Amino acid sequence: MLKYIFNPKSVALIGASNEPKTVGSGIASNLLKSKKKIFFVNPNSKKVFGKKTYSSVLEIKEGVDLAIIAVPGKIVNFVASQCVEKKVKGIIVISAGFSEVGNTEEEVNLRKIAQEGNMELIGPNCLGIINTKDNLNASFAPLTPSKGNIALLSQSGAILDAIIDISKNKSYGFSKIVSYGNEAGVDLSDYLEYLATDKETKVIMMYLEGINKNGRKFLEVASRVSKIKPIVVLKSGKTESGKSAALTHTGSLAGNSKIYSSVFKQAGIIEVDSLEELLNTSKALSFYNRSQNGVGIITNGGGFGVLAVDYLDLDGVKIPKLKKETLNKLEALEKVKTKNNPLDVLGDALADRYEIAIEALLQQKNIHTLFIIQGMQMMTEPEKTAKIIIKLRKKYNKPIICSFVGGDFFKKAIDMLEKNKIPNVEEIKRATKVIKNLTYEK
Amino acid sequence: MKVLSFIETRNLLKKYNITVRGTELFTEEKEALIYAKKIGFPVVLKVSGEKIIHSTEQNAVIVNIKDEKEFKEVFNALDKKFKDKEGILVQKQFKGKELVIGLNYDQTFGPVIMVGLGGIFVEVLNDVSFRVCPIDKKDALSMLEELKGFKTLLDFRGSKEVDLEKLIELLLNLSNLIIKEEDVHSLDFNPVFVSDTEINIADLLIIKK
Repeated sequence: MLKYIFNPKSVALIGASNEPKTVGSGIASNLLKSKKKIFFVNPNSKKVFGKKTYSSVLEIKEGVDLAIIAVPGKIVNFVASQCVEKKVKGIIVISAGFSEVGNTEEEVNLRKIAQEGNMELIGPNCLGIINTKDNLNASFAPLTPSKGNIALLSQSGAILDAIIDISKNKSYGFSKIVSYGNEAGVDLSDYLEYLATDKETKVIMMYLEGINKNGRKFLEVASRVSKIKPIVVLKSGKTESGKSAALTHTGSLAGNSKIYSSVFKQAGIIEVDSLEELLNTSKALSFYNRSQNGVGIITNGGGFGVLAVDYLDLDGVKIPKLKKETLNKLEALEKVKTKNNPLDVLGDALADRYEIAIEALLQQKNIHTLFIIQGMQMMTEPEKTAKIIIKLRKKYNKPIICSFVGGDFFKKAIDMLEKNKIPNVEEIKRATKVIKNLTYEK
Repeated sequence: MKVLSFIETRNLLKKYNITVRGTELFTEEKEALIYAKKIGFPVVLKVSGEKIIHSTEQNAVIVNIKDEKEFKEVFNALDKKFKDKEGILVQKQFKGKELVIGLNYDQTFGPVIMVGLGGIFVEVLNDVSFRVCPIDKKDALSMLEELKGFKTLLDFRGSKEVDLEKLIELLLNLSNLIIKEEDVHSLDFNPVFVSDTEINIADLLIIKK
């Protein structure tokens, strides 16, 4: 399933256009970047981007795996029928004007055409899909995202575009991106099912406004998939729950968002509450596997340590006491008199002190994740410390989250960390959220 | 939408191993009094009927009735005031920690179960948690643990820990009920009194589709 959507051999764009700043030209120029066989369909112009056009999909002699439909809503169903006749394997309907504006009948008809024609249907009312592996950008997103192992499913085109822009030239990237629109054919659960076995995808990231249909199927599928790959979701939007339901106390208390949060919990989905947390968490999960509950904290400033403990404790993350063996190893830190978790290696710590501390804590069994904090002090050696972290991360293979708190002083060191797939979150609270999300069995 | 009578409610719950204890329905004062004496004062008197959904707001419930004299007065007053009724419930004045438990039908996810801590917790703090049915033991425990006031159910300030096993069993039985009884729209137990030894449903309401 979805094979011909993400890996088509040939793609037809119906509604290709030369007109700058239009959907038809946006998709056309994105498609030309791929090595697929591309056909442009437009009965009103002879050439688009210098390429010959066809007056209809039926005029194309070769086979067409995927057709992208970007024509006025009123003629979508007519065009879709032509695609069936052409034996197209799947269609992405970009056009709007369906159930989202109350035009349910047309959408039902579109669904029927696709179903009877044995043709997969994405959308309508969507931005399209991207498969970075094949450089296939079958969308009108203005940028093509960096390659990576995160799959993004988004109910909002604008958020999707923003995420692509934010993540450009960062340490993480995307495998597949889907703007799924009204889900007349392929629905959210189908994508999850597909991504569960997709080799290029390690993390599934979702922006969700509401489940359009099949809530119970979603719960069932997501519960299964989340055991294979982590799913991170940002949910927005609240609707009035059924008025009749409010007859009982339970009904009036059942705020829509509360039910969603319960569903996510039941399904093993990680729910976040900001776009930033969505990105930070997905990034960390793209580098690391989820880890058990238990974090060690190393800092060169007591204040940072206290803040970290406050935040982590509220989120139910355990901060294990240091064991005797660990304390023995830490005896090498002569100047550090108080040795606890969090471990304050003091403001005058050079990189060597971090090295002893990191190694000792990573060796403690019930410390599953390490949180390394560094603030700018007279003696701080950011790059040297980063090098040590990179080395020890490889040696012990436990997730390390860094919080080098500052600006220019740490820029180079942070770049080094990120390049080596160690996430740095420059603010303590946000970093602790990532640690919480990385932790399972909280 | 149809509100089930007390008798219908009790019978339906029985099918799912949920027992309504310390509560009986009467139309005659004499028999009611015998029952009150049997369970022991103080007792609660409550009008039961299709029109009485929110008994407290409708002044259809009088609690803490201490003796025979007060019992007769209240019984007669309620009997006169509410003509259209199934009868009057005589109920033991339950003690324990107050909970609210409910079932409801969500448009997207279907049957859901809710549990919350009663009194101020639910009214002011909205301290409730939900799960989509069916639930298992683990879900039931996690939805209890999710409550901000969960600690008050444990050994807290001298009060004994409530019977969590029984409480979890009740949640599982309710989940089973909403899955099997397709025409049940929603259910409200508000309040339920839980102690270290028993669970008593003080007020119950089932609405059919």
